[in-house]
Amino acid sequence: MKRRDFLQHTAAGLLLPVLFDGYGAKAYGEGSAFVQALAKLADLNDRVLVMVQLNGGNDGLNMVLPLDQLSKYNTLRANIAIPEAKALKLNNTLTTALHPAMTGLRNIFNDGKASVIQAVSYPSPNFSHFRASDIWFTGANANQTLTTGWLGRYLDQEYPGYPDKYPSTDMPDPLAVQISAIASTTLLGPIQSMAIAIQNPDTFATLVGDKSIQAPSNESNTPAGKNLAFIRQQQVSSVQYAAQLKNAATKGKNLVTYPTGNSLADQLKIVARLIHGGSRTKVYYVSIGGFDTHASQTDATDKTIGQHANLLKQVSDAIKFFMDDLRLQGTADRVAGMTFSEFGRRAASNGSLGTDHGSAAPVFVFGNGVKTQFIGQSPNLSDLDSGGNIKMQFDFRQIYATLLTDWLGETTTTVSSILQQNFQNLPIFKQLVAGVEDPTVTFRLYPNPASDDVILESEFFRTGINSLRVVDPAGRILSVPAERLGVETLKLSVRALPIGTYFINVETSKQQLSNRLLIAR
Amino acid sequence: MSWLSPNTQPLSDVQAAHLLRRATLGPTPEHIKQFTGLKPAVAVQKLLADQPLPGPPLDPATGKTFVDQPFVEAMQGQHQSYTKGWWLGQMLKEGASVREKMVLFWQNHFVTTFAEVNDSRYMYNYNTLLRRNALGSFNTFLIEITKDPSMLRYLNGNQNTVLKPNENYARELQELFSIGLGKGNYTEDDVKAAARVLTGWTDTGYRNTTTAAITTTFRQGQHDTNDKGFSASYGSTVIKGRSGATAGDDELADLIAMILKQPETARFIVRKLYVWFVNSEISQAVETNFIEPLSKVFRDSNYQIKALLTALFNSDHFFDDSLKGAIIKSPIELIVGSMRYFKTVPPDAVTDSANFYTFTNNLLARGREQQQDLMDQPTVFGWRPYYDTGLYQIWITANTLALRGYFTDLFARGQLKVNNKVYSFDSIEVAKTLSDPSDAFKLVDDLTAQLFTVSLTNAQKDFLVDSILLPGLPRYEWPTEWNDFIKTNTAAKRTVVKSKLDNLFLYLLRMAEYQVV
Repeated sequence: MKRRDFLQHTAAGLLLPVLFDGYGAKAYGEGSAFVQALAKLADLNDRVLVMVQLNGGNDGLNMVLPLDQLSKYNTLRANIAIPEAKALKLNNTLTTALHPAMTGLRNIFNDGKASVIQAVSYPSPNFSHFRASDIWFTGANANQTLTTGWLGRYLDQEYPGYPDKYPSTDMPDPLAVQISAIASTTLLGPIQSMAIAIQNPDTFATLVGDKSIQAPSNESNTPAGKNLAFIRQQQVSSVQYAAQLKNAATKGKNLVTYPTGNSLADQLKIVARLIHGGSRTKVYYVSIGGFDTHASQTDATDKTIGQHANLLKQVSDAIKFFMDDLRLQGTADRVAGMTFSEFGRRAASNGSLGTDHGSAAPVFVFGNGVKTQFIGQSPNLSDLDSGGNIKMQFDFRQIYATLLTDWLGETTTTVSSILQQNFQNLPIFKQLVAGVEDPTVTFRLYPNPASDDVILESEFFRTGINSLRVVDPAGRILSVPAERLGVETLKLSVRALPIGTYFINVETSKQQLSNRLLIAR
Repeated sequence: MSWLSPNTQPLSDVQAAHLLRRATLGPTPEHIKQFTGLKPAVAVQKLLADQPLPGPPLDPATGKTFVDQPFVEAMQGQHQSYTKGWWLGQMLKEGASVREKMVLFWQNHFVTTFAEVNDSRYMYNYNTLLRRNALGSFNTFLIEITKDPSMLRYLNGNQNTVLKPNENYARELQELFSIGLGKGNYTEDDVKAAARVLTGWTDTGYRNTTTAAITTTFRQGQHDTNDKGFSASYGSTVIKGRSGATAGDDELADLIAMILKQPETARFIVRKLYVWFVNSEISQAVETNFIEPLSKVFRDSNYQIKALLTALFNSDHFFDDSLKGAIIKSPIELIVGSMRYFKTVPPDAVTDSANFYTFTNNLLARGREQQQDLMDQPTVFGWRPYYDTGLYQIWITANTLALRGYFTDLFARGQLKVNNKVYSFDSIEVAKTLSDPSDAFKLVDDLTAQLFTVSLTNAQKDFLVDSILLPGLPRYEWPTEWNDFIKTNTAAKRTVVKSKLDNLFLYLLRMAEYQVV
């Protein structure tokens, strides 16, 4: 996105109240420090998105463990339940833990560089791998078929005229690279895939050669004509991009030793090299299969090991090494990634030490830009839908919208058109609020974690309180009874709040004050 | 009914080639000649004629088969590649028949994989089941595949019991194998009800190192004996719960009958075969004028696959000129088709089995890197180009296209070798079969007409003559060189002509036109 577009958009956008990380940001004029600070962020050109697909329908409930629902969890899936003692606890949360195999991701969480968005799905979820994958790839509604991918549409928007006008001086590299032999529907643009699928950038150049001789052609508007035009275009693109890719792969270096026998790590290793080698590619796509765990997802006696544990370990290790590599390369600030799977699995396990197809499941977003780490609450296992599935808390397209705007810097108008509707962003990336004013001052809050009453204490309350807000991780403002106890104290009655993490924001006549509150019972 | 009305005119050479390219894994020039002039009905009858079942794969170490022996863990890697190689061998040596292409279709329809099943004897039996039923009754096919030991393993049917139902197979049976995911075809409750119908089946002999027998058994005690009610999608059918030794078979027969009663089931299979043999795009007009009447033929024949294919291959629509080149070859079609066209004979699978497996292993690796691994699809949906957005075009990326070229280069350059024997073709011998190889333009004209389903423009042919066959040389040099070589065949003269022809073949096999059929 160009800086000028950004300012235009920002000025227009600020006429509306904007929720950043659950905090209301007030509208300021174009010259204000706030807008200037935002403008600095407009130089988003080198930002990269990495999509990590977990193919087969990942069992989210054994990946992100709901510590506040364990008795129900143990009843629903006694034969595969991860013992509480083995769960990996995370900082700043009492309710969420990770599968014991995910030590790498646990460390990323505790460094504040990953976020979990709970119970992600869409209305009327589909239970077919094929159809559900398509919905995630294209960003379609459940009752709708789209023939382009959501990232394909984004790239088409950013780089109009692909493939004819590319590579160009401004964009000499592939718009998207998938480390695979075949490109995902996610990257399908209106004419063709916006991605170059490669398995190995070193041998790729040798395979395709450095020049192609094209015979004159006569492509008619028949199926054959379309196929021929498509194949020729692929021939041309591959030759054009081969040298660029090889160049980036040669210049780029991996600065950590990735684990072996981990197909996802193999792929992310190549991605890290290309990023470090100066490739300007916007989107990378990697995937790992095997998540369709209808049977034997855990060992019969030790529930912490088995098929699913192996897969989660691969995912967790791969992301951990990738992020370490980026940190050492100095490229970490440019990269954010997201994991997804076509669906989660049934809350109750089946009799084969496995789980059948389900719906809502957690999604991870990782990267230095991540600020809000826990979005949504543990799935309520006492309130499943009629099919025994976890109820959705967030639409997957809210995450897409958030990545497109808050990470890649796309305008909300464009994003509404890419995603067909206006989806409310989630507070995954907080830095947009950094320019608002001085860092917000925290105030004392006790007890924390709390269960019924909480006392808020600050000398700034003396200057007068304009507003008090309790915000959930999705940015929703909740109604909570409050009482002024004294000039420097407030009492909040939080017994109606579900277990989870909240932000308390007090606006005085001088100051924005905020703090994080955990509700636990 | 006009799109389905049979084409009754004798086949032209172009039509014969089209029929053979689509219905088989690739013709030889001789096949095309043999089929030219036949009435379509006769030609199709030949293609669909029953073929004898092949003998089993042999272990080169013993000269005997391993498929009727107890499981040997240490040999699984080898046995897997022997089984895959053996199937590839059937494709390579088959005559002008639709069968192996249909076995491939069904293997991609009723997917089970080595990766999951991990017992070559199971996979061999499964492959044989597919071959036995490939052109038979779809009703019988559905019943047999449901009980197939590899399928019971692959989709957890063997773990589906009254107390612990596993829905995996019941879902895919409907979504992928029979009625399809279309709107309102079945409900989530129908998946659960079908799973209950199918409770109790299991396989025996899995990876058994002491006994060879592999069977399917029905465990009465694990079967759900209650009535199973289905939704309005299935006319609120109730399948009566039964007990006893035949309960499983009886309820399975009822379940399949209920599914086949739905017209949508015939349509679903016909559409899938349409994508396999005709075109990936199914417009509303195709739906109305072709899919619908052909589905009726299928239903009226009591789901006889041969009846469906006879009507399909005979139809006017199948021979529609505008559909030539609508299909992008799969890696197997590219690899096997190339071998078949140039009549490259693999080492004998019985008398020279070690070399045979080295050869087929090499070709299987080329297919795998181009994303088509036989009996090892990435998911139960089969290979993506047959169902996913973009369809056949998914076969083609910068990467796979490069690998396709790598394969044709290996083949044309004589670099496919086993035990120092080259498996290739002699470009000079191929040229000699053409009408007038001494005329450079006619040579290119004849050759591209045989190799490609799409005809080239004169500009393209000129380019092939002037920039590829004879770069930088005047055309009149070619007849001189060729005739000179024919008159006195010396090594030097042969090299001059052959190097030019080899370049032409390398280029032709890398052309976009060679990727479509």
